Amino acid sequence: MNIWKISIKNLRSKPFYTFLSIITLAFSITLLLGIQQLRGSFEYQIKNSLGDIDLVIGAKGSPLQLILASVLHIDNPTGNISFEEAKKLGKNQMVKLAVPISYGDNYKGYRIVGTKTSFYELYNAQLEKGRYTKTAMEVVIGASVANQLNLKIGDSFTSSHGLTENTIELHDEKLKVVGILKPTQKVIDRLITTNLETVWDVHNHEENREEKHKDELIDDTTHEHETHEVHEHHEKEITSLLITFKSPMALLTFPRKINKGSNMQAAIPKLELDRLYEFTNIGFTTITWIAYLILVISGITIFINLFKMVKERAFDLALLRTYGATNFQIIKMVFYEGLSIAIIAISLGVLFIKVGLYFLLKFTDLGTKYTMLHELEPQSILEIGVLVFTAVIVSIFLATYPILTINISTILRNEK
Amino acid sequence: MIHIDNLSFKYKNKTQVLNFPKIDLEEKEHLLVLGKSGIGKTTLLHLLAGLLDPKTGSIIINNVNINTLSSHKLDMFRGKHIGMVFQKKHAIQSLSVFENLEARLFFSKQNIKKSSIDELLEQLNLNECKNSAINEISEGQLQRLGIALSVIHNPQVILADEPTSSLDDENCKIVINLLKEQATKNNAHLIVITHDKRIKSFFKNTITL
Repeated sequence: MNIWKISIKNLRSKPFYTFLSIITLAFSITLLLGIQQLRGSFEYQIKNSLGDIDLVIGAKGSPLQLILASVLHIDNPTGNISFEEAKKLGKNQMVKLAVPISYGDNYKGYRIVGTKTSFYELYNAQLEKGRYTKTAMEVVIGASVANQLNLKIGDSFTSSHGLTENTIELHDEKLKVVGILKPTQKVIDRLITTNLETVWDVHNHEENREEKHKDELIDDTTHEHETHEVHEHHEKEITSLLITFKSPMALLTFPRKINKGSNMQAAIPKLELDRLYEFTNIGFTTITWIAYLILVISGITIFINLFKMVKERAFDLALLRTYGATNFQIIKMVFYEGLSIAIIAISLGVLFIKVGLYFLLKFTDLGTKYTMLHELEPQSILEIGVLVFTAVIVSIFLATYPILTINISTILRNEK
Repeated sequence: MIHIDNLSFKYKNKTQVLNFPKIDLEEKEHLLVLGKSGIGKTTLLHLLAGLLDPKTGSIIINNVNINTLSSHKLDMFRGKHIGMVFQKKHAIQSLSVFENLEARLFFSKQNIKKSSIDELLEQLNLNECKNSAINEISEGQLQRLGIALSVIHNPQVILADEPTSSLDDENCKIVINLLKEQATKNNAHLIVITHDKRIKSFFKNTITL
């Protein structure tokens, strides 16, 4: 027999109160951990997606939208820019690396990005199997794509038009997987990359066919000449140009030059993503405060339960004093009860968050397409731990206060 | 030996001072304290147990003046040398019969083997409810458990506060005999305070407050 054992027995003799205390505390811990984990993952995701991209040049419009589309690959692009003009910008002395990307299609929701091999350099991505693309209609897929869609080298598929999954606007041409990338924990894991020609070819064929169709309706004999002209007219376009500078100093002059002197816009991803992070942070902060509130409520629940226990069992406590228990031992007993509740609740909270996020990711697209869950940092676990323990310990000390003022003689006398 | 001299007590919010007679008990002597309710019987018992501080006077139990002990030492002394029996509530609700006795031993810090718990349970005919919860056992069993709790740690003094008031004649006899028997076995003083005149004949030493 020891004080721990008595504390556990006390808790077990009041299962409902104990359960209530544990469940409210566990719930607030789950919420606090969940918020921390999502916030951490989100931050990590944004920082990681950046790769080495210093600047994005695209069509005029919302700079945030341009960044979302070209860096995070989640929004629609602002429009297209001329490939020729982009190439000229890429030759600037300040530019270390200029990577053109071109959008248009997806396969089962995963975006197909037409680009050059320098795109992989931005993310330090390496091949796990196969090779890089050599000709049009070949693709290299990211690790998540390979995993989720179960694609292997040599597999081929038909893409669908647009950036979201659909089965109506299917293209005719088959794309063939020639390479699979190693996991990078960056956005490239969720992308299908190909060369620029693939995107141009797929769309030019399509447009040509439409043109041809029209031509046939008007005049069957001239169509060859007409399509040829269409082809000539068709200036090559890309969605955006991703730039890495030799020195960050370039950010001072380069973007301004483009924004003022051309029909394109230059957006700085770091700036825009910081802005995005600020927006979303309001939501996170709100939920965090709600979690704090629940923590306070669970602290109060524990206080009430322990306090009630001290009051209701005053005679038992007095009896223990007649057994020779010191005030300190009695306080220790109540303290252990609160501590047991806290330990069980923390374990449950951690379990809930693991199971909860597992199911959240399993039954939604969140896990595979957008958020790659980042493990909780030990620091934030520690912070939450300290917070929860502080709340519990304050409740316990408030609840044990009556023990200090207890008058054993009076309580024993009231037995009769 | 128990020596009480010049003992008085005053409650904080009352003006009345309770004065207690001189008491001298030699080794193994028992004592019955009779008196109407409200006269200060329980106060005397709590003074003897060190649960209350006297206004004046001294209580010497086996050569220890308990009024000079620090509160920590007093707790230790109470745990080791004093056993208390109450009228109705005898045990901790959340523990079983056996666990109550274990807890009593734990706090007394007396080095007594657990097998002696079984022996005592056997003696008091409590074996069958050894692992029962307190709210599952009968009143008679609870009463006997109360006695067991007061003697398990081999105390020098057993203090009983109205142990028989709620019992019928037959059980009253049984309880008093058990208490006397256990006190004798442990070479302990037995001090019973009561307004129950039925048990007067069981004691040689009687004082009336």
